[in-house]
Amino acid sequence: MISLLLAFAVGSLFACGTYLIMRRGQIKLILGLALLSHGVNLLLFGSGRLTEGRPPIFLNKADYAETLSSSLPADPLPQALILTAIVISFGITAFVIVLVNRRHTVTQTDYVHGELTPLLREGDPFDFSESAELDQYDWLAYEVDEVYDSEELLTGFPTLPPSEQDESTAMEQDQYRWP
Amino acid sequence: MAVSANLLAVPVAAPLLTAALILLFARWGGRTLIRHQIALTALALCINLAAAALLFRAAAGQGQRFVLQLGAWSAPFGITVYGDGLSATLLLMTALVALAVYPFAVATIDYHRARMGFHPLYLFLLMGVNGAFLAGDLFNLYVFFEVLLMASFVLLTVGAQPAQTNSGIRYVVLNLLASTVFLVAAGIAYGTLGTLNFAQIAERLPLASPAVRTVFAGLLLVGFGSKAAIFPLFFWLPASYHTPPPAVTALFGGLLTKVGVYTLFRSFTLFFPELLQDWQPVLLTIASATMLVGALGALAQPGIRRVLSFHIISHVGFMLMGLAVALSGNNLAFGFGLGAAIIYLCHHMIIKTALIMAGGAVELHMGSDRLASIGGLVSRQPFLAFLFFTAAISLAGVPPFSGFVSKLSLLQITLDTRHWVVSGVSVFASLLTMMNMMRLWRESFWGDYSRPSRVPSRILQSSVRQRLMLTPVAVLVLLSLALGIWGEPAFRLSMQVAQQALDRQAYIEAVSPSAQTSTLPAGLFTVPAETVSTILSKEN
Repeated sequence: MISLLLAFAVGSLFACGTYLIMRRGQIKLILGLALLSHGVNLLLFGSGRLTEGRPPIFLNKADYAETLSSSLPADPLPQALILTAIVISFGITAFVIVLVNRRHTVTQTDYVHGELTPLLREGDPFDFSESAELDQYDWLAYEVDEVYDSEELLTGFPTLPPSEQDESTAMEQDQYRWP
Repeated sequence: MAVSANLLAVPVAAPLLTAALILLFARWGGRTLIRHQIALTALALCINLAAAALLFRAAAGQGQRFVLQLGAWSAPFGITVYGDGLSATLLLMTALVALAVYPFAVATIDYHRARMGFHPLYLFLLMGVNGAFLAGDLFNLYVFFEVLLMASFVLLTVGAQPAQTNSGIRYVVLNLLASTVFLVAAGIAYGTLGTLNFAQIAERLPLASPAVRTVFAGLLLVGFGSKAAIFPLFFWLPASYHTPPPAVTALFGGLLTKVGVYTLFRSFTLFFPELLQDWQPVLLTIASATMLVGALGALAQPGIRRVLSFHIISHVGFMLMGLAVALSGNNLAFGFGLGAAIIYLCHHMIIKTALIMAGGAVELHMGSDRLASIGGLVSRQPFLAFLFFTAAISLAGVPPFSGFVSKLSLLQITLDTRHWVVSGVSVFASLLTMMNMMRLWRESFWGDYSRPSRVPSRILQSSVRQRLMLTPVAVLVLLSLALGIWGEPAFRLSMQVAQQALDRQAYIEAVSPSAQTSTLPAGLFTVPAETVSTILSKEN
């Protein structure tokens, strides 16, 4: 009975997690990932035996075989596995939250620009002009510190007016001095 | 020199300890510190290469198997670290790729990314990849997968450019889904077989019901397959690989999907060799689709790095084709398919890394990697053009290079086993590869020189940095040439490795020489009809 309940719990966690991941919203995505990891943890929990009130502790070494044959104790290993999995999923969820937050700050949108966007639009499917704009970024620019240090964090990327370009290239030169 | 099994710990411990040491002092900042970080990282990479080379000589050359039971806990209870020819080959290739990309990374990674922890992350990624090659049980494999994923997440997104964060989310979510599927497989293995140790799984899986075997194999195929970017599961790769700095793309392109390919090789040859026969049509279909979609998709991509990273998928299809026919063929050519796939894997890791680095150099010179806006670089950068061209024709499979040997051997085994369709598809995919490479070459090097769209990067003003960027590319191209010229000894070696990997009984005996059990323990997914008492009585 309890194992049936567990199976239903695992199944519904997986279903809800999958559904949430398929939504467009970023918060739903995070929640979906969290639900999925809970589903897996429960499944790992069930992969040991589901016992009640039989801890895997033997008071007497002599009769452990009899104790085992009369009633199987709980399996301690899945708990260790779950603990590891919880720690990992905790770290990853924290990372995803930071990433989503960062992305929202940078792009000011909740909408993920997909690879298939040109195909989903009407017109020429091989027109990459829209994604071209997204690609026009400078992988050598590192606004990281500037953005973190300033109020630009709230307003997206700082774009320098043409008059200050020279100053920025001088800064760049400084950053590319041989370390 | 006799090689001890303790050497297996070095490829994991050296990067881990060095990265931890670097992180201890990372907050102090400053350029002097970055210089120390670079020196320490390079040292760790060299130690890693030396250990991998020693292991390779003993494991692949002399056919030894190394088993390290951590803390002297015997196999099912402790952590098993296992290294044989297959692991050692991949360790060696990983060490080479990591060491080759590192000068390029030092030359092109900016001070800010370095301060955000680029160098320790590089080592953590290496540690995760090495650990995955050495893991002897499913759960440690999962842990090392997560280590390398976490490092790759941060490497992919550090810098937080809009495109990076966009692609980062897709990469993270799809890879997490794959990890989840893999963890479900581990849970099912523990629930039905009562073990996570590779050797014990291989031992007990024939006792499990066919349904369990099918579910387990299917979950592993989906989990590992999406790490390896096989046909319907590859979408994370073209979505993300073009967004980080080229040094990161080169590292990812050389290492990440190969971990998935290795785990597919390991799990299918060790756990379900019979499924390699039963599922052969499915695997061959997936392989053909992967080859075709990868090559055709690359044709439609607008930028150098987009083409190169999409093209990785096509190569994974070739390796999967080798795995699918691993057990086919006559007895003389036992393991021929796997041997061909292994040599293809080595060729691919070397040359794809070199190409992505050369593409990154083009990107630096032209200010963009969009094929429409660049051209004519051959007049300004003849050496870079030469390197790119040789790497490109090696990838396409032109004779003196390694691409020819590996593609020829794969084609030979598919023809020998009369898989006409898939061999035709692979030839067609090779042709498309040639088209792709010539397209890259024509658009970026031939034609009129088009002025860079913006001021050339300051990196190019330093001749030291220029040399650091191009020397590793040249070394990798030479390595590919050597692999092509000494193709026969290399192929013989990879055949040995393949036969060693296909010898399941030797694996099981090397890891757990304990008595074989004939019953499965009682878990949630099995009916506890036969209880532990019978097992215990057998032990006593």
